[in-house]
Amino acid sequence: MGSVTIQNLVKRYGGLEVLHGIDLTVEDGKFVVLLGPSGCGKSTLLRMIAGLETVSSGDIAIGEQRVNDMHPKDRNIAMVFQNYALYAHMSVRENMAFSMRLKKTAQAEVDERVNWAASILSLEPYLDRFPKELSGGQRQRVAMGRAIVRNPDVFLFDEPLSNLDAKLRVQMRKEIKELHQRLKTTTVYVTHDQIEAMTMADQVVIMRDGVIEQIGTPLDIYDNPDNLFVAQFIGSPGMNLLSGEIVQGAGGKMFQTGDVTCELPQNSAAMVGQKVLYGIRPEHLQASMQGSGLSATVTVVEPTGPEIHLYATLAGHEICAIAHQRLDWKPDDELKLNPMVDRVHLFDAETKVAIPAG
Amino acid sequence: MFPKPIHRSAAHWQVFYQGMLPLVMILWLLPLIAVAIFSIKPAVDFTNGNYWSWPSSFEAVENYGKVFFASDMPQYLLNSIYITIPTVIGAVALSCMTGFALGVYKFKGNLLIFFFFVAGNFVPFQILMVPVRDLTLDMGLYNTKTGLVLFHIAFQTGFCTLFMRNFIRALPFELIEAARVEGVAEWRIFWFVVLPLVRPAIAALSVLVFTFIWNDYFWAIVLTQGVENTPVTSGITSFNGQYRAAYHLMSAGSIVAALPPVMMFFAMQKHFIAGLTLGSVK
Repeated sequence: MGSVTIQNLVKRYGGLEVLHGIDLTVEDGKFVVLLGPSGCGKSTLLRMIAGLETVSSGDIAIGEQRVNDMHPKDRNIAMVFQNYALYAHMSVRENMAFSMRLKKTAQAEVDERVNWAASILSLEPYLDRFPKELSGGQRQRVAMGRAIVRNPDVFLFDEPLSNLDAKLRVQMRKEIKELHQRLKTTTVYVTHDQIEAMTMADQVVIMRDGVIEQIGTPLDIYDNPDNLFVAQFIGSPGMNLLSGEIVQGAGGKMFQTGDVTCELPQNSAAMVGQKVLYGIRPEHLQASMQGSGLSATVTVVEPTGPEIHLYATLAGHEICAIAHQRLDWKPDDELKLNPMVDRVHLFDAETKVAIPAG
Repeated sequence: MFPKPIHRSAAHWQVFYQGMLPLVMILWLLPLIAVAIFSIKPAVDFTNGNYWSWPSSFEAVENYGKVFFASDMPQYLLNSIYITIPTVIGAVALSCMTGFALGVYKFKGNLLIFFFFVAGNFVPFQILMVPVRDLTLDMGLYNTKTGLVLFHIAFQTGFCTLFMRNFIRALPFELIEAARVEGVAEWRIFWFVVLPLVRPAIAALSVLVFTFIWNDYFWAIVLTQGVENTPVTSGITSFNGQYRAAYHLMSAGSIVAALPPVMMFFAMQKHFIAGLTLGSVK
């Protein structure tokens, strides 16, 4: 078992700096997900932890030991790749036993560990098959089996589910989470899929352009995004954003865009006259067909089963609301929207940083 | 679908195709057929100018018997084996290693070194004739099998490295990274992961190099002389005396000399398996 401590980590390719001073601590036994759009440096960071990329400056420690200059093979880590990277010329059993065999581990112990890993991952029937005879999900399980047999200090996952179809992905997601709950091995998991991040992580690290934008538990990040990027990146459909300014209304500070004014939380730190972005998640916009509220016009109706996504225009802005009642929404219908005031997010229009709600 | 299956084209075209095919094949194989027929003719057919007609008698046993038991051919064949096998092993082993180094490791000058290997292939070997002969003389390797082997290895490694480097480069790099992360040392990655996966390339390369070296005539006559060290290609000419040429024996000798590369091909055939990395990655 081991924690991972990263201090002021920088990665340069020639003159190009791709990671700009990353600080991150992964506590022992935690499941941390690095999340971000492609090109944000999350895979590079993972590969640096693995030792597959050199460190330009800064420090990486696994447990108490600084591993900057340590060869990957000496770090006692295990990594699962997006494309599985199985040894095609070896059976499933040999794939899992490979590194132990080379370390001259006693045959009885090798067998015991391989059988243990196979039983956890339900791979027993396939032990003597070759990778080409397995399905994508089974191959990914073999790759995980190869990782867990060695009892490493840290698991590293590099977008392991991207190659699987949607249904299998949901299943494997659960299996990886179960595996972690069972083994309690420190895990760093890279993905660009926010659902994977939200469902699996103890902690989500959101990255953009080589810097960490926010670190927090999935729900904390969802409920309290630090800045506009995080707010937009997490959530599907995304947060609605209206640009406008803060005005002084009768009952306190209000947000105004065009003719529309919206209430703000009582103690909002926003200042009158400040240019802001007003953010509200679709599920926090209560939609009804009549009554009071902001008037909007329905443009597109998307029923998903459990809920209905309503796209509408509000004072020239495209917005989305999620309705749970199965009313007969139709395009061009008049819609009344009531934002839940305590769920409103405000971002400074210039710095894009969240303005505290009070 | 391309090419279009012949049974789906027009009838007259099919007839034409099926008529031409054997004809062209015979034309193509004619030199080989001629040599095969020469090899069972008696010597008298050549003195009588009876080159292309039916043999006046069939002397297969007599001719091949002479080749094996009344000439230096067995020694020449043995020489060829002693020259070819070490060269194949040497060139393939070296190029697996250079190919691995150039295909897997990123270092300054990687591409430059690779280009040197490739550029070596473009040097016309004829211009090296005199310098190489002088070199082997100076080193005391003239007219030795060792000299020929060393020279062949040096000369073949360029092409072999190009071949192996590109093949190893085409392996999914994650396999090597996966092994590294698993705690496998680099030379073990080479031995246990890379080599098994490039087995088809090694087989193809071995057959190719075997054929190159076995059939080499140029360096054989430049660097060797006499029964002791000359390989079979130049050895065959010893059937030609000063005043006469024993075409029937030369033909029989040629057939014998041509067999090992053919056998080599069939022996290695089972290793030519496409898609050995199938299942390795998505």
